[in-house]
Amino acid sequence: MSATDSLETILNGLKNSDGGVRADNPVADRSLPAGKNSFAAKKEVAGGRVSFSLAGINDFLLDYYGLALLVLLWELAPRLGWIDGQFFPPLSLVFQEAGKITITGELLNHVVASLQRTVQGLLVAIVLAVPAGFVLAGWFPRLTSFLSPLLKLLGQINAFSLFPLFVLFFGIGELAKFCIIFWSCLWPILFTTIAGVKGVDPLLIKVSRSMGSGRLTLFARVLLPGSLPSIFTGIRLGATVAFLMLIAAEMIGANFGLGYLIHYSNVNSVIPRIYVGVLVIAFLGMSINYLVHWIEGRVVTWKQDLNVT
Amino acid sequence: MSSSVKKVPFWAVERWLSVVLFLGVWELAPRAGGLLEVFIAPPSVVVNVLLEMIREDLLPGHVLVSLGRAAAGFVAAALLAVPLGFLLGSGFRTFERLVTPLLRFFAQLNPFSLFPLFILIFGIGELSKGTMIFWVCIWPILFNTINGVKEIDPLLVKSARSMGTGICTLFFRVILPAALPGIFTGLKMGAGTAFFMLIAAEMIGASRGLGWLVWNAQTNFQMPQLFAATVVISVLGLILQWLFVLIEGKLLGWRENVVH
Repeated sequence: MSATDSLETILNGLKNSDGGVRADNPVADRSLPAGKNSFAAKKEVAGGRVSFSLAGINDFLLDYYGLALLVLLWELAPRLGWIDGQFFPPLSLVFQEAGKITITGELLNHVVASLQRTVQGLLVAIVLAVPAGFVLAGWFPRLTSFLSPLLKLLGQINAFSLFPLFVLFFGIGELAKFCIIFWSCLWPILFTTIAGVKGVDPLLIKVSRSMGSGRLTLFARVLLPGSLPSIFTGIRLGATVAFLMLIAAEMIGANFGLGYLIHYSNVNSVIPRIYVGVLVIAFLGMSINYLVHWIEGRVVTWKQDLNVT
Repeated sequence: MSSSVKKVPFWAVERWLSVVLFLGVWELAPRAGGLLEVFIAPPSVVVNVLLEMIREDLLPGHVLVSLGRAAAGFVAAALLAVPLGFLLGSGFRTFERLVTPLLRFFAQLNPFSLFPLFILIFGIGELSKGTMIFWVCIWPILFNTINGVKEIDPLLVKSARSMGTGICTLFFRVILPAALPGIFTGLKMGAGTAFFMLIAAEMIGASRGLGWLVWNAQTNFQMPQLFAATVVISVLGLILQWLFVLIEGKLLGWRENVVH
């Protein structure tokens, strides 16, 4: 994200060569003199070429300064006594703790367990919701509008209030956790699939029908590619929610998994391990997000090039 | 597709038929006996329980407590996030690029994983729950405000300035309304998230509130109460959403006339 931001800055600078007044700077452009704010201004002077000067490197690293500062503060503040080291252990201690549980293989177990649960719930939700969405929106539009108030109502039901219900039904086992995750992802994916199918340009459908395509061709060549962006948005949303709910479910009733790691570290007051859990979860969450983005990039982009709308 | 959907009034039967049918199934299914009867409370029983709770003056108290907590966290988050969003979106590039990655990192952190930390720091009282909700709401509001501010058409600002408007008028007449769609999206998302997390927070550590009602009912295996609380939570969530849509219509009604 930061690399593209840097590129954007450079390109913006190249585009706005009217003395530093920039189009994306409506409020501040009178208050900042031309050369002061932007490193991009220096690049204009250099004839618009991207230079590897100190300014260029600085510009690139700018995105990371904030995080570096955070790391620095996190390390120093507890050691210098600025904040309570009991509740905010220094970062090195957190890494030490992470190393400890990685060596014993415990961390890996937790990670795998959490990922497994997330993926299971997500996949089943996808396998059910996407076809259901297609069938509903594509072949039974009136049924869809008939069911839509009910679906919206069901989707609104807070997954947390269902959790005790699932636990009572299925006991505190894997099934209750699976159901919570499944329920949480089902609705975003279903709704975005329906929206995606409905949102396919009717002109495309008519054109393809007028060329005599049957139902299967229509589905595979027009509806599916057209609705994929929307579906992927839903999948991304679903994955985020699923991972979120998973941690909650694991904190309440599990014997392994990242949520459980945090929970028992809290109960046993091994504070650094809580932070290990927090960081690992954040990292995993970002990875899942990137993964879905990447899959989307591989599956959808070239189709979008063909479907010039 | 949109041309074939006719406008149906809000209260028309056909809109709610599916819900009515669902209620019917919900009512009849437990009577079939077996597992369903034990675990599912039919709507008639649920309604009775709800009325009883209202009569005993239990329900309004819990609802107010829950809404109060959510509102407090939400308002505090909005008061911080909107100005900060303006600051970050207004194009102080260096400041923005220093701070935004940090904020995005913090937004990534799973709120549940942070909950034990909040409890450690703030204790098991109102403050930890309030801070949780504050934390959770702040990110959608902040990032959507930033987007809203960034999307302001610079032409609007330039033409207003060329007519000699001062800073105050510029802000309240041009910038604020132009950023309002983005801000409002953020507020909507924030409110939804606040309510969602509130229930979770109350289930874990509270002695009053809707989340506590659910948890308590589960511990005592009181199915009707559990269903009743769930229904109340869902209905409240819907009302909240609908309220926001209504306010959005009033505040941003002019948006319909703008050609995008």
